[in-house]
Amino acid sequence: MAVIEAEQLCKQFRYSTKAKGLQGTLHNLFERQKLTKTAVDRISFSVEEGEAVGLLGPNGAGKTTTLKMLSGILYPTSGTVRVNGFIPWERRPEYQRQFAIVMGQKSQLWPDLPAVDTFELNRRIYRIDPEEYRRTLAELTDLLDVGPLLQVQVRRLSLGERMKMELIAALLHRPAILYLDEPTIGLDILSQRAIRDFLRYYNQQTKTTILLTSHYTADIEAICPRSIIINHGRVVFDGPLAQVSEVFGHKKLISLRSRQDLDPQVLASLGLVREFTSNTALMEVERDQLESCLQQLLGRLPVMDLDVKDIPIEEGIAYFYQRSGEAAQ
Amino acid sequence: MKLSGYGCIFGMGLQNSMVYRADFFLSLFSCLFPVIMQVYLWTALYRVGAADTSGYTYEQMILYTLLAGITSRIVSTGFELEVAQDIKEGGLNKYLVKPVNYAGYYFARFLGGKAAPVGFLLAVTAAVLAGASAVLQIRVEPLRWVLYGVSVILALALNFSLFFAIALLGFWLTEIRQLFGTISIVVMVISGGVFPLDIFGPAAAVLSAVLPFGYTTQFCVNIVSGRLGMQEIGTGFLVQLAWIALFTALHTVMWKRGTRRYTAVGG
Repeated sequence: MAVIEAEQLCKQFRYSTKAKGLQGTLHNLFERQKLTKTAVDRISFSVEEGEAVGLLGPNGAGKTTTLKMLSGILYPTSGTVRVNGFIPWERRPEYQRQFAIVMGQKSQLWPDLPAVDTFELNRRIYRIDPEEYRRTLAELTDLLDVGPLLQVQVRRLSLGERMKMELIAALLHRPAILYLDEPTIGLDILSQRAIRDFLRYYNQQTKTTILLTSHYTADIEAICPRSIIINHGRVVFDGPLAQVSEVFGHKKLISLRSRQDLDPQVLASLGLVREFTSNTALMEVERDQLESCLQQLLGRLPVMDLDVKDIPIEEGIAYFYQRSGEAAQ
Repeated sequence: MKLSGYGCIFGMGLQNSMVYRADFFLSLFSCLFPVIMQVYLWTALYRVGAADTSGYTYEQMILYTLLAGITSRIVSTGFELEVAQDIKEGGLNKYLVKPVNYAGYYFARFLGGKAAPVGFLLAVTAAVLAGASAVLQIRVEPLRWVLYGVSVILALALNFSLFFAIALLGFWLTEIRQLFGTISIVVMVISGGVFPLDIFGPAAAVLSAVLPFGYTTQFCVNIVSGRLGMQEIGTGFLVQLAWIALFTALHTVMWKRGTRRYTAVGG
């Protein structure tokens, strides 16, 4: 059953520009040229109950704006959305009790008080039964390993610790839908992994529907079996992330290290040389020519180390970004 | 959200105001300095006969200054900048997604933040008035203190709804910090927080009776000073309630329209 259904969703913002320098500033005081930016351009998609979907796209693609409309923060310019039968921007308390949103760059915690005070406030706001609250809080603090930090003033927590507290604050009322906007932004590798592992586990255990935006492909790969790539406000891909790299499925990468200096002309005759130093190279070859290329490399060169890889998924994503960018122009 | 939720916000506002001890104690003492300065100023003016005060005796003026200084401090706001920043920089997001009334949330937080300083001010008021009544030979009926308390509670609600409506202008004017600075000074004066407005003659007295500002300070003080009869006090309460209803209706409409325009900038 579809939990989220967006149809032809569109959001436009009005803004003005200013010419450089003092003259531009003075001119701007009396006359401003109004422009319109289409942040989300008639996108349609649906998300099933319990699904974890990644929203990918370059900066300014419209991912966060889409999440803001789904959570009722923004009114759309046109189009419709139904989440569990509710229209988000009507901001009905019945709907607000069914979802939570965590924004990596915005905090819902009171910075000068310990996080547990905000948790207690959320207990009252969402009318959580005290016993259930205690059980959920104990479970979440245990899973995220932040028990000893509950009494620490929020502004004294590290970014990773704070993000864990944000997640707890968002999940205390056990929302059916969780919107996550770049939850691992700015975190170190260990903190990223901890958040990622937690979200994957939480989604699998509770069947909470997750809609996640992130610039880290690892986040999406770990948590979301399905991805939607948005660029210039439009959906340019919808499917498993693994399919993204299939656009380059006919190509392979060969990473090579030789005992002697390599001849770039020899390498160029065998495939596309992407990177080259005196004795190392990264080559791109067609999959059907891989076998003969390897035979020639191993036969003609004193190869010390050789590795054959798929084209990285980021390149597939970049391809979609670029292609949709050209189409938009 | 149930009433206990707003009680929790009140408690958090109270805790928040006391986290930084130096700031807390400085904020308590800072409110006394302007009052002390004014007492010296009026004393000097009365001594040389330079004050034309429309019937205020020296004792009444000093009592007014003391009470107006304390009352205006009790009802003062200060949250408007935070609300405007929430609108400008996207901090409003976290309230829009929760089953919570933003105005109610801020009012509970505003009262919580006020509780400790107001408690302190009331203790100071009691001490000052005990001393002043002995020195200035002023006696105030106990009933008038009760009515003063009621008027201050209504003044708090009135000032909140007035400044909340002003803060919501942030939906239409992106940067309004300068406006707040100007408005708070003007309101401080025209509410009678510095001196009684009726010393400027009947026209000023009429204006202060018609406009809402006088009902946040001067009206409350005049209950104690005995310048208002019981009937005028009753009418004053009704006017306070009417202004609260009007500004609450205004900021409710502004909120509905403003959140449609809200752009929620930032990630």
